[in-house]
This record gives sequence, C-alpha cells and structure tokens, in this order.
Amino acid sequence: MVKVDAAPILKSIGEEINQIQNTVVSARRSLILMHNYDKHIHITSSLSSLNIIATLLMKYIRRDDNPLNKDWFILSKGHAAPALYAVLTEVGLIPRDELVKINSLNGVLQNHPDVEIPGVDMSTGSLGQGISFAVGIAVWIKLRNGRGRVFVLMGDGEQDEGQVWEAITHAAILKLSNLIVIIDWNGFQLDGKTEAVKSKHYLPFIWSAIGWKVLWCDGHDVVSIVSTVNEALESDRPTVIFAKTMYSYEAEVNNNDFKQNGEESVNGEPKTNWNARCSWRDVG
Amino acid sequence: MESQKLTGMRDVVGEMLAELGEEISNLVVVTADVGKPTRVFNFSQRFPDRYYNVGIAEQHMINFAAGLASAGALPVVAGFAIFIQRAWEQIRNTVARMNLNVKIVATHAGYSDHADGSSHQALEDIALMRAIPNMNVIVPADVADIRRSFRAVVASVKGPVYYRIGRDYAPPVTEGYDYEFVLGRAYTLREGSDVAIIGAGPILYEALIAADTLRSMGISASVINLLTVKPIDAESIERAARVTGHIVTVEEHVVYGGVGSAVAEIISERYPVPIRFVGAKTFGRSARSVKELLEHFNLDSKAIVRACLEVVKHGDRRA
Repeated sequence: MVKVDAAPILKSIGEEINQIQNTVVSARRSLILMHNYDKHIHITSSLSSLNIIATLLMKYIRRDDNPLNKDWFILSKGHAAPALYAVLTEVGLIPRDELVKINSLNGVLQNHPDVEIPGVDMSTGSLGQGISFAVGIAVWIKLRNGRGRVFVLMGDGEQDEGQVWEAITHAAILKLSNLIVIIDWNGFQLDGKTEAVKSKHYLPFIWSAIGWKVLWCDGHDVVSIVSTVNEALESDRPTVIFAKTMYSYEAEVNNNDFKQNGEESVNGEPKTNWNARCSWRDVG
Repeated sequence: MESQKLTGMRDVVGEMLAELGEEISNLVVVTADVGKPTRVFNFSQRFPDRYYNVGIAEQHMINFAAGLASAGALPVVAGFAIFIQRAWEQIRNTVARMNLNVKIVATHAGYSDHADGSSHQALEDIALMRAIPNMNVIVPADVADIRRSFRAVVASVKGPVYYRIGRDYAPPVTEGYDYEFVLGRAYTLREGSDVAIIGAGPILYEALIAADTLRSMGISASVINLLTVKPIDAESIERAARVTGHIVTVEEHVVYGGVGSAVAEIISERYPVPIRFVGAKTFGRSARSVKELLEHFNLDSKAIVRACLEVVKHGDRRA
C-alpha cells in the first residue's frame, strides 16, 4: 500500500494564501497612509485592484534579468499605481519611506507608474496602451522561446478605448498563451457607474468571440484569484479574467477617513480604522 | 511589385530593410496594413516570423512595437506619415517617455501622395514629432540620403526616431556628395554669401534650382540640408546666419512648428537675422503630380527665389 499524505501540500498552500492575505492587509494600511499624505492618489481604484496586484506579485511574478525569462506585470490602468507601490514595498523593491513622499518632488513615486521606479515594467497612465505593449512583449518571448509570462491589469472603464479592440483582436490571432489579462470589474469610471457612462455588460462575450479564454473570479478573494490564474496558465490561448471587485474596497470614501491629512497621523500611522469595513455598497 | 525601378524613397527603404534583416537578428518590422505601399513587405518575404502586420490599427502598432523593443527586439514601424499621427499620444506617452528603441518610418509624407489629396498629405508631422522629448527627427532629401543614413538610424542611433520620407517623388539632391550621415549634423550642399536657404526633404531640389536662378541674378545663395531636424545642428545654422545675414527656410510641411520654426528658434537666440519661411499654410489637395502641388501652394523654386529676393532687401547683419 502506497503511503500518501496530503497534509504538507495543503499546509504550504494555506501558508502561501495567508502570506498573500497578510501582504494585502499591510499594503492596504500603506495605501491609506499614502492617501493621508496626498489626497491626489487614486485611492478608490487602488483599493479595488490591491488584492489582484498583491496576488500576482507575491505568487506569480518571477524576476529575472533576461527580459525573455522574467514575468512582466503591466499596470494598464495606471491610476492604480499606489496599490502597486504598496505591494512593491512589501516585497522589498521600494523603500518604505518613499511611500509617504508620493507625488512630492523629493520622492521617486509618481501618481502613475514610471519605469524609473523599481519593479515597474512599463510607464503607463494613458489607458489602452498597456495591453498593446503586453502583446508586443508576449510575442517576442514566444518567438525566442523564453519562459516569461505577461500579466496585464486593466480597468473596466478602460475597455471603452478603441485601442483595446485593436490589441485583443491581434493577441487572439497570435495565440499568445503566455498573456493573461485581468480586468478589475469595479463598476466605476471617472464620470460615474460604468453602465451609466457606457454599457459594458457584453464585453466578456466579445473577448470570447474573438478567441480569448474567458474566466471569472472574485477580485478580492485571494483563493478565487489564485485558482483562476492557475487555470489561465494552463490555457493554450490568451486568457482574460473578469475580476469582480468593489470600488473602495474596505474603506469608505465619504467618511472622515479620507479627509484626514498627515498631521492627524500618529507616528506615521493614520488614525483611520482601515480594516474595519467591507462594504459592497454603492458609492455612486 | 509592378515597377521594379528602385527610384522612389520607399523602394530604397524596403530594399535596405531586407538587407538589414540579414545582419540584425533582432530586427522586426511592424506595419498596419500598408506593408505593400510602404515596401516593407519585401522584408516579410525573407523574414516572415519577424514581420507583423497588425491590421489597420496604428495606435496598437506603436505600443506593440514599444513592447517588442522592451523585450529586446529592434522594431522598425512603417506607416503613412499622416496615419502615424493618429498614434501621436502612444508615441509620446510610451515610446518617447520610456525612450525606447523604436524606429518609425513615415512614408508618403508632405505632398508625395499627390493624388490622394489632403486626407493623406502629412504637412504637420514634423511639428508634432519635434515637440516630443527624446524624439529624433530625420528628413532625408533623396534616395542618396536614405542610402547613407538609414542603416545608421536602424543600427546605431539609440532611442526613438521619426524617419520621414516621401512616396516616389525623389529628384536627385545629394547624389554625388560624399558626406557621411551623423545624427544632428547639417550638410552644406552649396556655398553662398548673400542668403542661406535651409531646408529638409525633396524640396531641396527646388532650393538648388532657386540658388542657380539667384546666381544668374548676382545673388550668392548657400543651400543647407538639415537632414537631422532634431537634434538640430545649431552651430551650422548660426554660422550660416553670420556668413550670409539672411535666411530662407524651405519645407514640404506647414510653416508652423516645422523646419522653419526650428531654424528660427536657433537664430533668434544666437544671431538674429531677417528670415522668410517657404512652406505650406493650409491643407493640400489632389493633383496629378507633386510638382504641380509645389507650384500651386508656392513651394517651388520660383517661390524660394521670391523669398530670397525679399529677405536680402531686409537690411544686412552679416558678421
């Protein structure tokens, strides 16, 4: 009789998920702190993307000096940069004292990603460009038989850009199995609810019709993100994951939390009760 | 291809790209459904796996090329000059901001696509590209200029380049000159002491005719080929202003923000002298030849002569 024991496997999976969740908690604290120092950061969009970014960077992104063998993370919705910085701080690529200097002339962190910043693979901030860029990287990696994979995080509002159509039709033809796009489906864009600005409910069917593998997940549940990305990695064609999220996840926008400024923090920590709420609420 | 006569500017680029593909293993060519009219299609016959036709999608084309460059490829993007402007913001925000090694070959510039009319005639592109930090702008005068510059642009120049060429119209301008292309250097095609005609592109052919006409009228005109519009050869321009005391700029482009403006920026700071601008002032139109359009819009040799006669009367500040 073969002696088997699943316990060690399950234990390591559990530990990994715990580690990601702890990172998310810590990074969320950093985000609120950054927001206390500069109200110009895009806090709501950063909060909706945070769990996805943390999961990708902690579990999937492999660093390598060879551009063909590293994994790329393209933050196509560049306004969620603070979430990326908060996670990059957790993995040790950005010094922690840079966080509170965001958007200041004596700091390195810009309100949108810039390749001058450690751990940033593409300068973004203009929507629709990251996906095309990612297609270019993925095709070259494939042609040169590299092991690198390309992860792109897009916004739902970003889907309005015509360039997205140009890029995803091309990626499908190129059969880029090393390309995984996650769409942060938080339901809001600058002028309000996505359905009020421009309806997008049909989008998953369009991606599917042109040849993408389409998956869904809960963008705030690490387990859901992990199992979906694992499935995407098995695909022989490009995959898009529609990640249902909440705008301003675990924070309230209209409360005093976001009206605090630096002086009201204690020893660099804001007084904000940053993990108290989890509100699937409508802020529109 | 219907006519194999390698006289057009685009033909030479297409031919040279196919040669460069042998030497440079990471060279890739990207186009947006204009592989045949830009002649880069030749490259695809020899290197099918390093040729990407992204369809009619210029914005994607630029960022796709930027991604290729980031991953280690050397992309040459080919498209009609006017439709590349559709991706100006992609060029500005990704290619230039990241200072990526993307070479943009913009064909059919100026009036060279004479028949297709105003929608196809790029007359504002130099201004748009020149305004972008990190961007280099190169405007060859003729086939000989392409032969001496294109290899270096692809293989040696680092960072983004906007390489502006015409379609077919390319009368010999620099044929027989033995200069070598150096980024940022202007070349004197004709020495002169009364007025300096400074320009770029095939319109320099008109400038040389104008210089001949002026000589017969007793006026000594120099002709300077501003092959690199950016970074600009400020020393050569200042020297021309000091020697001749009068400047006329010529360009197959609007006089707003292009070659003339670039020259004026230099001389107004370094050595102000009277200046006249020969160039377009509005949209183009369809015509049966480039020559007709140059005459119609006052960009021909006669217009250059008139500008020279006018500027030399405008006082004298020769050093």
